[in-house]
Amino acid sequence: MDIWNNLLQGFITAGTPINLLWALLGCTIGTAVGVLPGIGPATAVAMLLPITLKVDPTASMIFFAGIYYGAMYGGSTTSILLNTPGEAGSMVTAMEGNKMAKNGRAGAALATAAIGSFVAGTIATVLVTLFAPLVAEYAVRLGPPEYFLLMVLAFCTVSAVLGKSTLRGLTALFVGLALGLVGIDQISGQARYTGGVPELMDGLEVVLIAVGLFAVAEALYAVLYEGRTVESQNRMSKVHMTASEWRRSWPAWLRATFIGFPFGTIPAGGSEIPTFLSYAAEKKLSKHKEEFGTTGAIEGVAGPEAANNAAITATLIPLLTLGIPTSNTTAILLGAFQNYGINPGPQLFDKNAALVWALIASLYIGNVMLLILNLPLVGLWVKLLKIPKPPLYAGILIFATVGVYGMRQSAFDLVLLYAIGLLGVVMRRYDFPTAPVVVGMILGPLAEAQMRNALSIGEGHWSVFVQRPMSVVLLVVIFAVLGLPRLLRLRRKLRRAP
Amino acid sequence: MNMRQALVGGGTLVIGVVLVAGATQISSEAGYGGVGPNFLPWVVGIALLACGAFLVWEASSGGYRAMETPSGAEHGHWPGFVWVSVAILVNAALITTIGFILSCALCFVLAVRGFKSAEGRLDLSPQAWLIDLAIGAAIAAPVYWMFTKLLAINLPGLTSTGWL
Repeated sequence: MDIWNNLLQGFITAGTPINLLWALLGCTIGTAVGVLPGIGPATAVAMLLPITLKVDPTASMIFFAGIYYGAMYGGSTTSILLNTPGEAGSMVTAMEGNKMAKNGRAGAALATAAIGSFVAGTIATVLVTLFAPLVAEYAVRLGPPEYFLLMVLAFCTVSAVLGKSTLRGLTALFVGLALGLVGIDQISGQARYTGGVPELMDGLEVVLIAVGLFAVAEALYAVLYEGRTVESQNRMSKVHMTASEWRRSWPAWLRATFIGFPFGTIPAGGSEIPTFLSYAAEKKLSKHKEEFGTTGAIEGVAGPEAANNAAITATLIPLLTLGIPTSNTTAILLGAFQNYGINPGPQLFDKNAALVWALIASLYIGNVMLLILNLPLVGLWVKLLKIPKPPLYAGILIFATVGVYGMRQSAFDLVLLYAIGLLGVVMRRYDFPTAPVVVGMILGPLAEAQMRNALSIGEGHWSVFVQRPMSVVLLVVIFAVLGLPRLLRLRRKLRRAP
Repeated sequence: MNMRQALVGGGTLVIGVVLVAGATQISSEAGYGGVGPNFLPWVVGIALLACGAFLVWEASSGGYRAMETPSGAEHGHWPGFVWVSVAILVNAALITTIGFILSCALCFVLAVRGFKSAEGRLDLSPQAWLIDLAIGAAIAAPVYWMFTKLLAINLPGLTSTGWL
């Protein structure tokens, strides 16, 4: 079969010593980044984007994928051991994981998280292997109107549906779109919002926005508001699961994989919903309900961790086959592809088949590496948690400088970096989501190009968006995604009122 | 009226005004398409004006809806903020003249002062400055060498040897 031949080729490419080394390096950095508070996979990939200037695309994509994956493994270690509210994706793990750790079962929690991540990651990679080419084959038939609407759908879900407040989500999205407007218009070649500053002609760098919004904002936020926050760490115990813990874990892993995967594939990104769903499902199905929220139930760690990894892996499908990022990190990965002049999309599987299959093969390899890095070596990573905050955040600023300066060699960018950092602090303090900014900035120019191409096809008539069956379907989906939650809420209100 | 939230809304309005003002300067030459390069700027500008107006309205009628209480202290620790801000900006100002390693080490020292002051243990003794400077250089130097020597990516140096 074609897929298996391609995959085999991918393994051959990914299995060269140099590429294995890149994968290992990526997984190691990713785990470290996941363990360390204050820096996540999106920031780490963004800071390292300058390597796209020199390293060949296959190696760097393998490297970045390793970071993306590794951070998920590492994140669970921190959320289990450290009593601190973590990021949304691992928040659910923290609920039960913390309870388990407090009761001396940190080792079992870490084990079920790591093995669950491995199981879910591997199954999800198999699903990506099988489905991505199919989606790509289908996606070839989509024209600019459909692409534009798919991107609008991604905008809607990222900004309006996922967050708590539609208004703040949309504000963040339009700020992102505004940032994406800066620079030369791709179609007409006209400069927009450059204010005559030559540095702005090429537009704003993704690195700059991502590092500013995440790393610098995180540092500034920490110094402003979190200096007195005291974190306590739970005691480690032997990383080991008993037979009964195995029996309780594996159904949770499998269920969660199939909850998480679909959420990653639709342009609705984010792993918050699937992790919560998995947690709720496990709580409902468990024979040990009394352990939830008290001594800590192992299913409550196994499920959400697996769901998280499955969803994260599945986000590669919309990224690779449609070129649509649905999370911060995939948005930055798209930026990495663009740096190479590669446009992810259905043609990717034809034009850059070697790269795509090497990337997919590297996911299998990366999962194995991460299992080894995270189970026997977990003690090493735990030591990272002992780094005091001042040098940690100050060190992050050094890496932020490398990433931003290395990309364009411009000191002006470092000033902009600070400005974006301030924006990030305000956004965090007033509970604006950041993902819409990054997705809007990267996807905005692409969406604009698709829209204008679509209108040229329709000879300037907007009706081009309703004349094709697929685009009508997409329009209906967009309206459903935007309208349904509101309608449901309205109905509930009406029912309550007499 | 929640003043700070209203200010954030006001800030959004300002960005909207800037975008709309900019949009009027962009040609509407549409070519083959129905819309020109000024179309999206207009849309985004007007949308931001609308968002800003709604934010101000929410702020004035009971505050932002569905707000999550932000983590950390209620009031900001501004001295620490100033230290870190100065660290970043000094780095931006000096990086091309004194080179990546020294500039980043300086940034590190200043930033550590800020974070320590936020924790209430600001240490301004010369000894502490020197130790932090050394740690900063020990982080910055390997990064610099990795980029200049291994990856051949240009970072500014004090000398042109690629070592400092």
